[in-house]
Amino acid sequence: MGRPKLLLPIGGVSVIARVTGALREGGADPVVVVVAPASMPGAAALASEAARAGGTVVVAAEPPPDMRTSVERGFDYLAQSLPPPTFLLAPGDSPGLSADLVARVITQARTHPHAIIIPEALGRRGHPVALPWSLAREIRDLPEDVGINYLIARNSHRVLTFEVAEPAALEDLDTPADYHRWSVTGRRLGALDVAGPERDHGYGEPEVRTLRVTIRLFALARQRAGCAEAALDVAEPATVAALKRALSDQYPALRPLVPQLMIAIDGEYVSDENRPVPPGAEVAAIPPVSGGMDKLRPGVAP
Amino acid sequence: MIEITEAPIDYAALTERVRSHGAGAVCTFLGTVRELTGERRTARLEYEAYPEMALKKMAELEAEARRRWPITELALVHRVGCLDLGEVSVVVAVSCPHRQTAFESCQWLIDTLKEIVPIWKKEVWADGSEEWVHPGIEPPSG
Repeated sequence: MGRPKLLLPIGGVSVIARVTGALREGGADPVVVVVAPASMPGAAALASEAARAGGTVVVAAEPPPDMRTSVERGFDYLAQSLPPPTFLLAPGDSPGLSADLVARVITQARTHPHAIIIPEALGRRGHPVALPWSLAREIRDLPEDVGINYLIARNSHRVLTFEVAEPAALEDLDTPADYHRWSVTGRRLGALDVAGPERDHGYGEPEVRTLRVTIRLFALARQRAGCAEAALDVAEPATVAALKRALSDQYPALRPLVPQLMIAIDGEYVSDENRPVPPGAEVAAIPPVSGGMDKLRPGVAP
Repeated sequence: MIEITEAPIDYAALTERVRSHGAGAVCTFLGTVRELTGERRTARLEYEAYPEMALKKMAELEAEARRRWPITELALVHRVGCLDLGEVSVVVAVSCPHRQTAFESCQWLIDTLKEIVPIWKKEVWADGSEEWVHPGIEPPSG
């Protein structure tokens, strides 16, 4: 493919060295740079440039076919020791990435350790993106044909964007990636955060862990909501009671009905409101049927 | 036999289907669309089901009915969609060796079906207004 663009000098410094340096100076440690095997054109030079700029080079056994695979190789490396609570993702070819921007993303990530932090300029999302390490595991479990964007979309309720004034530093996450394109960097945020509780740091919404549940709606509930399915973010622990609260809060038109709705999980009525909603279960809101379901309803005399 | 269908139900065929040399009694119940509820006049009914769960619950009803009574043959069919006055919305057909168990099981099946099977109806009144029938939920006023 000719000379890799990451080796092109900008202001006397190669693109990969600039990006690695910005991540390090901004406070990321370690900075993991995933490169293709040395047999690939330019890969050895890329590895040596990244290492010289302070990056930890991870050489993939095979040329990673896509961005997600590169990122997963980075995770493999980070998981060998105690993984960081938060990691940043940045493409190798974002020469506009500055140490200042990296530092600001890290500050946001420290304040909101369970959120996905994305810098935004002029309405466009950019890099680096900070994600909780718990999502690294989710990336491995994604369907084969989807990438990191899918993960972010699926966890959109956890996304926290903040405005920056550096459009040059920003690049769309949808950009197709070359094998050498992405680097992964981990940032240790301190022992307190590593060992700390998963929720309620007092920083607001993103810290509340939620489960995304799709609930089927019927009859009056369907009509009031205006849809046959509703996507709910149910606060953990995601019990039937929490599901009903989420339905009330997120679909106000259903609020008056919710006390009368039975919840069915995988085709069975659930009368115990403390019962957890298993991820991936089929969930439905069942309004009273015409013959009456009072016998099934908790707290209602027959 | 258990079914949810949008097509008119052939209750005569279902009755024939449960007839058997092993049975001395056949009981067929038809639910039909009534025109008057008190003084209000119905134009039509619209039925909606949660089909996967409804079929599952109907199968459970059949199993429980067979456990309780010596049922020879049984058919449970519910219609969904738009039904005009007089049309058949639900059929329960049971055959048993003797009439008492045929009556008892047929009544239990239709009563329990209407309590637990997730199928709902909406009244479309002759004056054009509409109302889901959900016992315990007051229709909006006005």
